[in-house]
Amino acid sequence: MPAYKLTYFNGRGTAEIVRLVFAAAGISYEDVRLEQDKWPELKPKTPMGQVPILEVDGTMLCQSNSIARYVAKQAGLAGKTPMEQARVDMVMDVMDDMGKKGNAVFWEKDEETKAEKKKEYEETFLPQFFTCVNKLVGDSGHFVGDELTLADITYFNTTNLVGNYFKLPNMEEFSGLKKVTEHVTSNPGIAKWLKERPETPF
Amino acid sequence: MPAYKLTYFNGRGSAEIVRLAFAAGGIEYEDVRLERDQWPDLKPNTPMGQVPILEVDGTMLCQSNSIARYVAKQAGLAGKTPLEQARVDMIMDGMEEMGRKGYAAYFEKNEDIKAERTKEYEETFLPQFFTFLNKLVGDSGHFVGNELTLADITFFNMATLVGTWMKLPDVDEFSGLKKVMEHVTSNPGLAKWLKERPETPF
Repeated sequence: MPAYKLTYFNGRGTAEIVRLVFAAAGISYEDVRLEQDKWPELKPKTPMGQVPILEVDGTMLCQSNSIARYVAKQAGLAGKTPMEQARVDMVMDVMDDMGKKGNAVFWEKDEETKAEKKKEYEETFLPQFFTCVNKLVGDSGHFVGDELTLADITYFNTTNLVGNYFKLPNMEEFSGLKKVTEHVTSNPGIAKWLKERPETPF
Repeated sequence: MPAYKLTYFNGRGSAEIVRLAFAAGGIEYEDVRLERDQWPDLKPNTPMGQVPILEVDGTMLCQSNSIARYVAKQAGLAGKTPLEQARVDMIMDGMEEMGRKGYAAYFEKNEDIKAERTKEYEETFLPQFFTFLNKLVGDSGHFVGNELTLADITFFNMATLVGTWMKLPDVDEFSGLKKVMEHVTSNPGLAKWLKERPETPF
C-alpha cells in the first residue's frame, strides 16, 4: 500500500471530502495541517499553487474532488461501472455547484448585495436544489447503486459545510437525502472520524 | 454500442467538451441543439434542471465534465491507471476553475468591478495559472502519459472559450502548452470537428 500524505490548512474546507473518503475506506494517511507561515514556501512547489495536495507514489495531485475520486477508487467507493462512476461524478459536480454558489455569496464584499444573495440562496436556490437532488436518491437510500459511494459522502460533506454558514431548508422534508445522511453518518469509519476530527473554525 | 444523445442549446458553451470527446473518440452521437422555446418543456425532465444532458442506456446524465469523462472512458482518453486518471481529472478541475473565474469577471454587471476583475484576471491570474499549467505538461507534449487525453482536450477547449471573452497570455511563450494545443488540433477526429462544427455566438 503506497503512503498517502495529504496537505492542507488546519481546517475542513476543501480537504474534508478527502479525509472523509480515507475514513470511509479505512485507509491510513498522513494528515498534514499547515501553519499559515509555511504556505508561501510550499505554494510554488504545488501543481497549481493551491492546497489540498496529495502526495502518493512520488506524484503530487491537486484539486480536492480529483483527489477524493482517486482515493475512493482504491476502496471501491467511486462506482462499480463506467455508468455508475458517471452518476457518482455527476452528484459530486452538482454538490460542487451548490458549494461554489454559497462560497460566492460568502465572499461577496458589498454588504447589501451579500444580504440579497444570501436571502436568494437560502430561500429560493437551496429549496429548489434539494428538491432536485432528493429525486436522484435511489430506493436504497444511496445516490448510486445499493452501497455507499463518494456521491453520498460528497452530499453529506458539502451540505454540512454550507450549513455552517447558511440556513438550510427543513431537511426532514427530503426523505431520500435523509436516508443518505443516515448511511453516511452510520458508516463506521466516517462515524469515528466525525467524532475524532479536530474542531476548527472552517 | 449504445446510442448516445447529447442535448444542449445551439452553441459550444458547456457542451463543447463533450462534443470534442466524442470527436476525439470517433464515437457517433446525436447532437441535439434546442430551440429556446423547447427548453421549458424539457427542463423539469432533466436531473438538475440544466443542460447539457446525455441520454444513454435509458439513463440521463448531467454535468458536462462528468459526461465528458464518461465518454472519454469509452475511448480510452480518460487516463490508463487510477493515478493517470487522477491527473487528468486534476487538469480538468483546474481548467474549470479558470473558466469560472473568467466567467465571473466577464459577466459581472457592475462595470467598475468588472473592469477590476478583468484586469486582475488577464494581468495576474492567467499568467500565473498558465505558468503552473505549463510545468504540468510532460516531455511528450501531453499533460498525462504519452497520448492524447481529456486533459489536453479540456485545456484546448477552455482556453479557446475563455479566449473569446478575455485576453489570454501568448501560448507561444509556454512551450508545453503550445505542444498540447498542437496535439489537440492535429488529432484527426478533432481537426474534422473543429472544421465542421456550426458557427455559433457562444
